[in-house]
Parts: sequence; structure tokens; C-alpha cells
Amino acid sequence: MRCNLISTTDVKEIVVNVENLEVSFGEKKIIHKVSFNVNRGEIIGFFGISGAGKTTIIRVLTCQISQKNWTGYVKVTNLNPGSKKNHAKILSNIGYVPQLEELNLYYDLTPLKNVEIFASCYNMKKKEALAIAKELFSILDIPEDTWNKPLKKMSGGEKKRVSMAIGLIHKPDILFLDEPTTGVDAAKRYDVLSYLKKLNRRLGTTMFLITHDMEAALIVDRAAILRDGKLLEFDSNSNLITSLPSKGLVARFSIENLNEEKINIIKQFPNVSNIKTIRVGNETFEVLMDDFEKNLSKLIQFMMEKGLKLNAMSRDVAAFRRYFQLRIQEEEEKERRIRMQQETSEEVQF
Amino acid sequence: MYLSGLVKKEFGRIQSDKRTLVLIFVIPIILIVIFGLTSGGGPTAYFDTAIITRDKEPCDCYNSTDGYDDIFIDIVEDDCEAWGLFEDFESEDDDDFDKIFDKCVELLRDEIIDVFIILPDDFSETITNDTNTEIIYYIDGSDQQAKDAVEVALQEPIGKFRLEIDKTTNFTTMSPYLEYEVPFWESQVLNYAFALIASMLILGLLMNLTSLSIVSEKPLPRMLLTPTAKDEIILSKLIANTIIMILQVTEIFVMSAIFGLYCLGSLFELYLVLLMTGFCGICMGLFISAISKTEQVANQLYMMFFITVIMFSGAFIKIDALPLAMQIIINSLPLSHAIPLIVNITMKGLPIDYAHLGSLALISTTFAGMAYIAFRLKKVEV
Repeated sequence: MRCNLISTTDVKEIVVNVENLEVSFGEKKIIHKVSFNVNRGEIIGFFGISGAGKTTIIRVLTCQISQKNWTGYVKVTNLNPGSKKNHAKILSNIGYVPQLEELNLYYDLTPLKNVEIFASCYNMKKKEALAIAKELFSILDIPEDTWNKPLKKMSGGEKKRVSMAIGLIHKPDILFLDEPTTGVDAAKRYDVLSYLKKLNRRLGTTMFLITHDMEAALIVDRAAILRDGKLLEFDSNSNLITSLPSKGLVARFSIENLNEEKINIIKQFPNVSNIKTIRVGNETFEVLMDDFEKNLSKLIQFMMEKGLKLNAMSRDVAAFRRYFQLRIQEEEEKERRIRMQQETSEEVQF
Repeated sequence: MYLSGLVKKEFGRIQSDKRTLVLIFVIPIILIVIFGLTSGGGPTAYFDTAIITRDKEPCDCYNSTDGYDDIFIDIVEDDCEAWGLFEDFESEDDDDFDKIFDKCVELLRDEIIDVFIILPDDFSETITNDTNTEIIYYIDGSDQQAKDAVEVALQEPIGKFRLEIDKTTNFTTMSPYLEYEVPFWESQVLNYAFALIASMLILGLLMNLTSLSIVSEKPLPRMLLTPTAKDEIILSKLIANTIIMILQVTEIFVMSAIFGLYCLGSLFELYLVLLMTGFCGICMGLFISAISKTEQVANQLYMMFFITVIMFSGAFIKIDALPLAMQIIINSLPLSHAIPLIVNITMKGLPIDYAHLGSLALISTTFAGMAYIAFRLKKVEV
């Protein structure tokens, strides 16, 4: 695992420190020895398929899981969320933007009324809260004529931005965002992400993004990839991609009547030890391998010798999405091999 | 420390929900106006009747040819506002009586008459001798309200009969609460119904308002990711709804006064009882909301609680006639205390019964406590 842990002597201020976190509910272990540090001002993306444990980790950090269900060393803004007496302080230092705006906003009220309500939860003065809200609304391009209209009359995108503003109203050190781009159409997804980046730059707020959306990797400083409660990777987008064979150079082939059998033939390409293939469409697959430039022409020749009919070919640098797929695929294959070894040894014993 | 902001938030939510505001403030006005306009004195029901007389005894002092039964029949026929005489029958012997009786049963079954009255063969004799006089009546038992109302309505011909013959004869149908009736010049419909309607309105509307207050607040789990504690959230709901309740009770009180609220006792004590009834409604509603997982469940529980409270308020089923276990359950419901308290204060002029008021306070506290515990234990997650 590429886990870029920051040492305590580092000049950067650590706002979240997690070491050997394990979470269990009854007999079931949900999180297995997860460790990572987060610096002030970073944007961290938590990527993983459903059930990977993203939300569980965030729930530990946001004081939503009792200490009896978890072990390990966890500090959020230098406070232990396992201690109940720290909860109010931690919750003052963090903000939270849920996936659905309706869980964060009173739709019948205006944005400014919502601001007043949530500001009162942080014991903020109305005047101060409204001043911050106006600043946030301006950064988020929420039109001024909507500030005093009921939220139910606003568009989905505007509600999303008001929800972000509410999460930041008390100027938290850390903002947790649960699936910030879910339910937003493709065109607006980039808007949401760019607004988050803008807020991060202007306010310096540390952000945690829990997401399925691989496009979110565009704005994160470091990405955490989780699977079955294990942290597989925790590093920057560029470090992860350059760790791929040939620093992520990828060849995309379109082959007539592509099937698993044909992909297995390609996997047997003899010239390289490290070759990775991934199917990305009905007739399209991608190949990553060591010594990409040297081996690409040989691979094409090998494919033609094996009677595979190439319709098209292109080359590119892998995106985070591809890295994620390959990493998960690799983990699945590793598990499959272990399972098969176990089954074989059981048969031998029998 | 966050309480004032949370209370303001509750007001903001209520203000923004126009339907709730209509429910809280307009419905009581409409109902009180309806009851107020329906008033204007007079009896609570009108009965068409047939009278069978078996009386043979002539009157000894009033008129030598007529018996007291004829006087009674004449009064029912001509002098009563609550009564209309369909027909009177004189039975000569038992066979004759049986035939007439069967005919009257048919008239009753066909809803031509509402009730038929039998004057026994010693009717005049008992009046002459100042002994207990019986009036037997048959009424459609399926009509619970008419069955109750006829007892009251019978007092009209009896009273007028007493005046006519200038005797204070005892009748077995005499109702003990006659002497506490609402005078005819007062708004009788409003005042007879006031105890039930006012308590039902206050309790029902406030239960309805609060039964959704927790379960329908979608941002509530998110609010718990702020330094705000669960205790403060439930307390803010209690405070905000109590202020709404005070306004609502005041409105009902003033509207009822405008339409002729008849209160022999202390108005302040009556107001206090109404407030306590409203507080019960809030606590019960909060309890329902705290234990409900969805709005639908809350609505169903509200209906279940409300119907139970109304059915076993003592207004429809006599509590004393029920088994002891049932009486205990009924006594743990608010209206079985609120209604007697209101009736006693308004119609009998009695001082506040602290046992009943204490029971109301105990019920409120119990439901508030259970709501608090349920909300503390409620799994609230974003």
C-alpha cells in the first residue's frame, strides 16, 4: 500500500490522525487496521464500492460510533472522538454535508433562515453568521435574490451549494462531504467539484469527500481506496497513477467479438512480466505493461499472429478511474488465488 | 446554551407550514363558531313519542273526570318543545295492552316515533299518595346518544306536569344532574358540548402537531452532528409547542366566551385545566413522534391514541360500569380527568379537583419522560 504517512516532525499540521483503527459490530469486523494522517487544508477522497467502509471511518471521526465498537488511536483536531466529553468540541470543529440536501436544509425556510438555525446550533451570533453566510454564498455564486426565498423554490444545484455553505457556516477545520456529486447531472458535477476546490483554496478548510464518483479524484490531494474495510491505497492521484506499469501509459484496443478467451490470449503475451488488462466496453479493452513503448508494437504483432482482428487502437495515460478498477481487480484476483490455495490444501489434507 | 436558537427554529418551521397554522388556529374558530351559532337555548334533542296509558284512577283534586295521565299527555302534546305526540293509547285490559305495545314497537322499529312511554295503572294513585311514580319508556337502544338524551328530555314534561298539578311528585326517571343544567337562555348546545369539544380539540390538535415534530424533521440527524445535544432538541420542541398551545387555548377560551361560555366556577381554574389538557396533548404527541420511525407510523399511532382517548373519555362509555383493570387504563388517559374537571367547574361551579388535575400532570410527566427516553434511545444517523 502506498500510504503517505506524515511524520510528527513535518511542518504541516495534522488535523486527523488514525492509527490501526478497527471497527466491529458484534462479531463482524467492518474496518481492519486502517491508518492515515491528514494535513490541514488537504482534500481527501475516500473511494470504494458500497460496503467498503468509507462511511464507517467517517462516522468514527464524526463521533457517531461509540468507543466500545472501535479500537486504535484516533485524533480529530487533536481530540479523541472516543471520549464523550470531547464530542461537543470535535463537533464544533467539523462540518458535515450529507448526501441529500433535504437532510441538511429546511426546505420551507429561506437560505438565510437555515443559516440562522444552524448557526444557533454552534452558539454563533446572528450577525456574525449572516456575514459569513453572505461571503460563502458569494463564493458559491448563489444569487442574492434567492437568499430570502424558500429553498423549495431553488434549483437542485443551488440547494447543493446552500447545503455546502451550511456545512461551513461555523468555519470548521474539517468538512466532511458525503457523496457531494450524487444526484447531480453530469454537467453540474464538475461545477460542484470546482466549487469545493474554490472553497478549499479560499478558506483553507480540510475536506473529506466520501464518493463513488471517480471524477472527484480531479480535485483531491490524496485518495484513499478502500475495499472490504481495508485501506488499499492512500496517496496522491499522480503517485498512484505513476505507480502503474510504464507510469500509467495505456493502450486501448477495439477487437471484433471480444470475449474472455481472447483477453486471456493477450494476457499470455510472452515479452513482459507485468501486463495488466481491463475490459472497458463490449469490444474494447485496455492494456498496461512494463516498457510500454518497446513492447507495444510487439503486442500488436502477437495479437495479429493469434488471429485477433483489431478494429481500432489508441494510447493514453490512465485516469484515476482506471487505477481504481485495476487496484480492485488486483485485490479480487489475490483473494481468488488465496481461496483456491486454501481449497487445494484442504483437498490434500482430506 | 443553544436552546433559544432551537426554539426559534421550531417557530420558523411551524410558521413556514401554513397547513399547520390553519390546523392550529382556524379549526378551533370554525368549530366554536358552528357550536356557537347552533346555540340559542332549547333542548338537545327532539323526540316523537307515543304514550300508552293504563291509568284507571280519576284525579281526586284537579278534575273529577280526568286522571293525572291525561294531564301528562296533554303537556307532552301541547306544551313541550322537546316532545311531539304522535298518538296516545288507552289500554282497557292486558290483551289490549299487548296489542298496543306491539303496535308501538312497530312504530319504533319503523322510526315513526323515537320513543314510547308507558304510564302504569297506579300513575294517578301514586301521585295522589305522593309515592314514587314510575314512567317507563322504550327507546331504540342502538342510538346511544338518544338513549342518554331522553333522560334529560323527559325532565321537560315532568317539570311542566309538576307545575300544572302543583305537586312535587317523585319520578323514577329523574336525573340527578337536572339541577346543574345549562339555563335555557344560555348557549346550551355549546355549553353541553364544551367539555368534550374543547378538551378533544385542544388535545387532538396538539397531539397532531407534535406527533410529527420529531419524525418529520429530516435535518434532525444532521443537527446532532453539531454541539447541540438531544436533550436540548426535545426541550426546544416542548417549549415551542407549549407556547403555541397557550395561544391556542386562549383562542378557544376567548371564542367560547364570545359565543356564551357558561361557567359557574372560576374562569381561571377552567383556563388552567384547558392548559393542562393541552400540555398532555403535547407530551403524548412528542412520545408518538419519538417512537415512530416514519411519518406514516406516527399518523397511525396518533389516530390510535386519539380514538382510544376519545372512546374512553367517559363521555361515551360509563367508566364505572367497566371492569377494574379497564378503569385503571381509562384513568391513565387524559380526557377521563379533563372532562369531569371542566364539567364540574363550568356547570356545577365546583372548585378545581386537585386529584384530577394531579392525574393530568402525572400523565403529562409520564408521557414527557417516555418521549425523552425514547428520543435518547432513538437511532438517529445521517
